[in-house]
Amino acid sequence: MTDSQEYYAGVDIGSAFIKAVLINQKQIMAYKILSSGGNYKETARRVLDQALSKGRVSFDMLSGIVVTGIGAESAPFQARQFSDISCQASGCKSLFPSARIVIDIGGQFTRAIKLTPQGRVADFLMSEKCATGSGRFLQVIARILRIKIEDIGSLSLKSQRPVEFSTNCAVFAESETISRIAEGARMEDILAGVHRALAAKVAMLVKRLKMEQDVVLTGGGGEDAGLVSAVSEALGVNVLVPEYPRLTAALGAARLAKEEKPGTR
Amino acid sequence: MPFAGIDIGSTMTKAVIVDGYGTDVASVIGPTGAEHRHLALAVMDETIKKAGLSFEQLDFIVATGYGRINVPFADKQITEITCHSRSIRALFPTVRIIIDIGGQDSKGIKLDTDGKVMNFIMNDKCAAGTGRFLEVIAETLGVKLTEMGKLSLKAKDYVRISNTCTVFAEHEVTSRLTEGATIPEIVAGLHEAFAGRVVNMVRSLGIEKDVVVTGGGAMNIGLIKALQEKLGFAVLVPPKPLLTGALGAAFLGKDFVARGVTSERERRFEGVTFFK
Repeated sequence: MTDSQEYYAGVDIGSAFIKAVLINQKQIMAYKILSSGGNYKETARRVLDQALSKGRVSFDMLSGIVVTGIGAESAPFQARQFSDISCQASGCKSLFPSARIVIDIGGQFTRAIKLTPQGRVADFLMSEKCATGSGRFLQVIARILRIKIEDIGSLSLKSQRPVEFSTNCAVFAESETISRIAEGARMEDILAGVHRALAAKVAMLVKRLKMEQDVVLTGGGGEDAGLVSAVSEALGVNVLVPEYPRLTAALGAARLAKEEKPGTR
Repeated sequence: MPFAGIDIGSTMTKAVIVDGYGTDVASVIGPTGAEHRHLALAVMDETIKKAGLSFEQLDFIVATGYGRINVPFADKQITEITCHSRSIRALFPTVRIIIDIGGQDSKGIKLDTDGKVMNFIMNDKCAAGTGRFLEVIAETLGVKLTEMGKLSLKAKDYVRISNTCTVFAEHEVTSRLTEGATIPEIVAGLHEAFAGRVVNMVRSLGIEKDVVVTGGGAMNIGLIKALQEKLGFAVLVPPKPLLTGALGAAFLGKDFVARGVTSERERRFEGVTFFK
């Protein structure tokens, strides 16, 4: 490390998790994820501190910090704010330069972002009105089936005959799940059915933006292999998934801290 | 001359027997389970017993509701749209709009001045705007569904519920509670949101007076009040709002017989094994 080294941090304050990514001019140095809890300010401070200490960088050495996410307003330190759309786009673009569509499947809503070939945000759509379009649908069904969220993906992939739900409503699907189980349906087939229904909603968003390759799937949904496979199937392409799908917005925030110097916008 | 109507709804199964004058002589309401056929027969049997009749004495049986095809003993299956409008025409001849709020769907039916169905609209795709919405949230609040109406009347103001989706609204309600909102205020807010959705749906039919509300939703005084506020005028509610479908079915059976249609039940029963 030389004295000319510059460091930037991105902090994504989400409703479920707070994430921080630390970068220098060339690469990712450290990251940290903590569950948000009731106090965004305190958790955000802890997440950033832990990422910094992993990277052996002190707060004073940072040349820039960007915060994003639903709780960006409650950042406990001086930082610039960028929208999650800009951060998500920047983070995914840096990992996958060929990305033209970014799908972010979170716990509360799903976003689809369209990028220009140069990687700028061209358009975006959000599905926030209905639980079927978000990770919440999976949580509802997983609770009924008494399985952990992290086990959903691998179970769903075992399905031979995915259940076809007669409804597109998470509440009605919940009762349908109960009667399907009573009829002897297998758990993996139910989960694969949920994945398909969710993927169909996601595909509708992407279609409205006009599909373009490559497609990146990020957010918590990117960690669910069954969902990744269902979305790939619904779109008819293999979607790309970052190694740490939860971190892309924080990564983008750090990159924006580096690229968009204060005064330039 | 007794006629029977049976309405297999998503949540409740209702049966009514009327006499030759169209007077309701017996009715039974039971929950709809997974086994429709079994239940339809049990509810029908009980109604027949209550009326002091036997199965053979019924001149005509009409089945309606979403489970109507699972009533093998019925002479005819008729949609609930037709059945509701038939009984409402008899009960309230001035009605032009029927709002039926069921456990898993809600409907708007527009009648012409003669009481014939002109148009209808239905929501069974999304739990919001159906009885299910209140049922789910009543459970979250630890309140009985049947008490929600009275509870909401205690509220001086209501809490605005901004989420349409039942799943999200459930979460919103918990946050409002932790922020200090009272249960009556929240329940009043739920009724307000619910009424808004239902009225929006019915608006596409062109709202005309009079409006009647039927189904389980009509038994919720808070919801009726909220609907009246949204509509800007008073609505009618039948004395037994759950029974309008079954009652209309029984009336239609009477109409069939009056037109010379007779029951073919006995013939169809030969060689059929009943499961009971």
